[in-house]
Amino acid sequence: MALIEIENVQVGYGSGPNILDGLSITIESGKTYCIIGPNGAGKSTLLRTICGLLHPRQGSVTFKGEVLNKLRTDEILRRGISFVPQDRSLFPDMTVKENLRMGGYILRGRKALEERIDEVLVMFPILKERHAQHAKTLSGGQQQMLAIGRALVLRPEVIMLDEPSLGLAPKIAQSIFDNIVLLKEYGMTVILVEQNARKGLEYADWGCVLDLGVNRFEGPAETILNDPRIQELYLGKQNRDRREKTA
Amino acid sequence: MNQFVQVLLFGLTLGGVYALMASGLTLVFGVMRIVNIAHAAFIIAAAYIAFYAFTIFHVDPMLSIFITMPVMFFIGMAVYWLFFARIKGTTRAGELTVLLTFALALIVEGILGYFFTNIYRSANPSYATQAIHFGPYFLSAGQFYATLLSIGLIALLWVFLKFSRPGYAIRATMQNTSAAQVVGVNVERISMIAFGLGMALAGASGSMLSFLFTFYPAQHWEWIAILLALIVLGGMGSLGGALAGAFILAIASTLVGHYFGPTWSPITFFLALFIVLLVRPQGLFGKKVEA
Repeated sequence: MALIEIENVQVGYGSGPNILDGLSITIESGKTYCIIGPNGAGKSTLLRTICGLLHPRQGSVTFKGEVLNKLRTDEILRRGISFVPQDRSLFPDMTVKENLRMGGYILRGRKALEERIDEVLVMFPILKERHAQHAKTLSGGQQQMLAIGRALVLRPEVIMLDEPSLGLAPKIAQSIFDNIVLLKEYGMTVILVEQNARKGLEYADWGCVLDLGVNRFEGPAETILNDPRIQELYLGKQNRDRREKTA
Repeated sequence: MNQFVQVLLFGLTLGGVYALMASGLTLVFGVMRIVNIAHAAFIIAAAYIAFYAFTIFHVDPMLSIFITMPVMFFIGMAVYWLFFARIKGTTRAGELTVLLTFALALIVEGILGYFFTNIYRSANPSYATQAIHFGPYFLSAGQFYATLLSIGLIALLWVFLKFSRPGYAIRATMQNTSAAQVVGVNVERISMIAFGLGMALAGASGSMLSFLFTFYPAQHWEWIAILLALIVLGGMGSLGGALAGAFILAIASTLVGHYFGPTWSPITFFLALFIVLLVRPQGLFGKKVEA
């Protein structure tokens, strides 16, 4: 059964043009999705719409049959969808622990919150080590882990990650992808937007190619990875071939 | 030397009150990026409330914070909801808030002038004219109590911001508004609360001002100039900065007033403002804003 159903959605900022222009995607439970596409295709906008930071002008976003269109972010978080925005958007002058506490902001009851924070700290030992440090003093990779950890405090069913490997050294980025595998093993549905499309697809079950606000192609991640047309247009095949030749 | 210490003590007791006045202004800027030009006008409005509570009902001006703070809190929330919430997110919202707060300042001044005339006022509870002696030094009792109360209120504010749930949300919004939204903070509601809180601090400041200084409706222009200098020095949006800026400039202006004559004392603030903007525009504790 479809977990999230996005139907013919149109979204834009302020009074600007539609960024998503009639986009439809079906997200199924327990799978990992990788959304790729050129800059400005609407990838981040899609994630922001699902988590209620933007509201559709047309069409609908449904989660388990319930329409989310008009709900606020906190109401959507409560239903089990968490979002890790681009640029590791943390609270720089709060400690690691306080950032995690903010992750559970919508929860009532201090004890339950502390328990969940401890769970997250077990998942990310480095955060436990640094729990009293200010977020701004962490390295890029650690900040990304904190951003993911903050989203996990709510034990979401769906976690959406916007370019988690952006600006990270390859080795660090790899550890982030390893963590995504872990999320999947926990049974979470993962929606991943990745600039490094090839890498993202390797970790996904299903791939969607967005272009100009619509879902241009979709299919099993492997098929997308090997589709010559998509390789040509979106995966930078020529560049890779050139690199391989020189290597 | 004795004289220097005496002047320093005057400066210190002035600093606490300045800090209280500046804390609301910096809080509102930190959360909403609104430079509330009307902040001092609301302080004067609260001073009138305290003044009349004292002259008519004999309410002690220091205790009048229990009236001025809640009254200004609700006025603040209403003002935010009526005006600021509506222009948020529109193009040029930043410029509009400047015009809006400027207009609010004029409106408040006009209303005060209409009802209370432009006569200079000052509440005079018994302690306003008493002195407290510390060995060879003395302090104005009113200044001393007002500073203690001011610091107490700032400490309460700090505890609230540091440990309460809305406090967490306010700090989160100050540090990263979009991240606050992502974790489910209702930024709109938090902004309204923060604006109310800033105005409640203006209310408490008005209670202090009512007996420490003489005041009249248009005087808020002098105060807002001073307050802006304080928070620019400290770093706009930083509570610790407002505190540091307030004490540094209160002491500096008192020293200048003593050694060069009272005429020169106000210029301390603007001189400091120029120097800070030239040398360290982000202020002592502020963060550089990325363009």
